[in-house]
Amino acid sequence: FVSYQVEILDWKTKEQLCFLDKVEPNATIREIRSMFHKFYPQWYPARQSIKLDPKGKSLRNEEILQHLPVGTTATLYFKDLGPQIGWTTVFLIEYTGPLFIYFLFYFRMPFVYGLDERFTSSPHPVVNLACICHSFHYIKRLIETIFVHRFSHGTMPLRNIVKNCLYYWGFAAWLAYYINHPLYTPPSYGKKQINFAVIMFLLCEAGNFSIHVALSDLRRDGSKTRKIPYPTKNPFTWLFFFVSCPNYTYEVGTWISFTIMTQCVPVGLFTLLCFIQMTIWAKDKHYTYLREFKDYPSVRMPIIPFLL
Amino acid sequence: MAAGGGGRADNGYGGQQPRRGEGPGALATADLVYQGFLCICALPNASIMFLLSCRWLVIAVGLVRAYLAKGSYHSLYYSIEKPLKFFQTGALLEVCIVPSSVVLTAFQVMSRVFLTWAVTHSVKEVQTEDSVLLFVVAWTITEIIRYSFYTFSLLNHLPYLIKWARYTLFIILYPMGVSGELLTIYAALPFVRQSGLYSISLPNKYNFSFDYYTFLILVMISYIPLFPQLYFHMLHQRRKVLSHTEEHKKSE
Repeated sequence: FVSYQVEILDWKTKEQLCFLDKVEPNATIREIRSMFHKFYPQWYPARQSIKLDPKGKSLRNEEILQHLPVGTTATLYFKDLGPQIGWTTVFLIEYTGPLFIYFLFYFRMPFVYGLDERFTSSPHPVVNLACICHSFHYIKRLIETIFVHRFSHGTMPLRNIVKNCLYYWGFAAWLAYYINHPLYTPPSYGKKQINFAVIMFLLCEAGNFSIHVALSDLRRDGSKTRKIPYPTKNPFTWLFFFVSCPNYTYEVGTWISFTIMTQCVPVGLFTLLCFIQMTIWAKDKHYTYLREFKDYPSVRMPIIPFLL
Repeated sequence: MAAGGGGRADNGYGGQQPRRGEGPGALATADLVYQGFLCICALPNASIMFLLSCRWLVIAVGLVRAYLAKGSYHSLYYSIEKPLKFFQTGALLEVCIVPSSVVLTAFQVMSRVFLTWAVTHSVKEVQTEDSVLLFVVAWTITEIIRYSFYTFSLLNHLPYLIKWARYTLFIILYPMGVSGELLTIYAALPFVRQSGLYSISLPNKYNFSFDYYTFLILVMISYIPLFPQLYFHMLHQRRKVLSHTEEHKKSE
C-alpha cells in the first residue's frame, strides 16, 4: 500500500499553496478539492480549477489519483476560477426577467408609452396572443430548468450572469416595446399569417420540450458522461435522425414563428442572433460527439438537416 | 490627379457645389482592383504593405496640391473625397492582412468607414467644415507612418525614426483625429434632425423605429469609454516598445 503525496502549486507563480501527505491512491479529485478547501476556505470546490499542467484543462471530479500520469508525489496546479454561480440559479434569473419585463410593456406601465396610454390595451388580438406565447415560452423554460435539465457542469463564472441578463432582458424589453406599442401594425396577411405562426409555434415548443426530456432521460441514472442521443417513439425526436442538436433547431423554429406572428423587425433580429449563437453551440456539440464516439451517425448535421 | 483640373469662379471659401466627374476615377478603381488581387495572389507581405502605404500618400499629395492650387483649405474635402472613400472602404480588407490585433484594427476601420460614409458623405452640409480636414489630416499622417512601419518591419530593416514616429506622434494625432471626428458628427446633428436622415418612425408594417439623431449622440458618447482605452493601450505599447529598444541598444 503506497500512499501518495500531493503538492498543489499556483498555476502562474508556481508557489506551493498546499502539501497533502498520506493521500489514498484511489482518492478522487473531488476529495482533493475538498481537502484544498479546508486550507483555503474562500476557494470553495466549484471555483477551483485543478490541473496536471499549468496551461492545461481542469481535471474532473471523478478522476482518480492513481490513474493520472503522476508519480507517488503528484504535482497539481491550481487556478482560481472566480466566484461561481449554479447553472440552475443562472437560468432562473435569466428567464424570469423577460417574463416580467414583457408584462411591463403589455400592461403599458405609465413610464413606457407615456401617461396618456397608461394601462390601455391594444385593439389587436395578435398582441394578446403574442403575450401568451412569449410568456408560455419562458414559463416552459423555467419548468424545464427546475424539473428537466441535468447539467454536466455545476457552475459558471459569476460575471457571465451580468452579460447574459443584459442580453436576454435587454432584447425582451426591446421587442416587447414594439409589439405592445399603441402604433403597432398587425401582420400584413392577417389571420392566415397569425394562425400559421401559432401552429408552427406550438409544434416547435412541443418538439423542443420532447428533446429536452429525451436528453434528460439519457442521464436518468445520475451519470455525467455523454451518450449519443437517439430517436424515441415520440415523433418529435425523429429529428435526431438528421441533426445532433434538434433542441436548438426547434428553438430557432419557435422564434421564427414568433417573428411571423408579430411581423416585427426587432423580433427578427433577435431570432437571427439566436440562430447564430445556437449554430455555434450546435457545431461545438456536434464535433465533440464526433470526437468521442467513433460510431456516431454520419448523416447527422449540427443544427439544420443536410445543410448546417 | 486628386485636385483635378477645372477652374472655379468663387474664391474657394464655403458654400460651393461639390465637384463631380473630375477626380482620380481611374486611379481609385485601379486601387480597388489590385487590393482584391492582392488578397488572392501570394504577394510577399512587405510588398503588400508598401502598396497599402502608397494609397495614403496619394491622399496626402492630393491634399497638398489642392491647397496650393486654391490657396485655402475649406473645400479640400472635395479634392480627396473619392480616394478617401475608396481607400477607407478598401481598408476593410486589411483587417485580415495587417499584423495587429484583429479587434482593434476592425474597430478602427469600422469607425473610419462610418465617419467617411455615414456622416461626411451622407450629410452634405458638413463637408465644408474644418473638422473634416482635421480628421483627414490626422488619419493621413497616422496611416502613412503606420504602413511604413509595417513595410519596414516585414523587410527587417526598421529605422528607429519610423518606430519612434509611430509610437510617439499618435500622442498628438489621436486626439486630433478624435476631435475632428466628434466635431464633424456634432456639426451633422442639426441637419440629420431636420431631414430625418436614415430614420424611420412608427407606425410602419415592420414595427420598427430608428432615430439616427439619437444614434449619433450615442456614438459620440461611446467615445468616452473607448477612446481612453485605445489611447492608454498605445501609451502602454509605447513604453514597452521604446524601452525595449533602449535596452537592446545598451546591450549592443
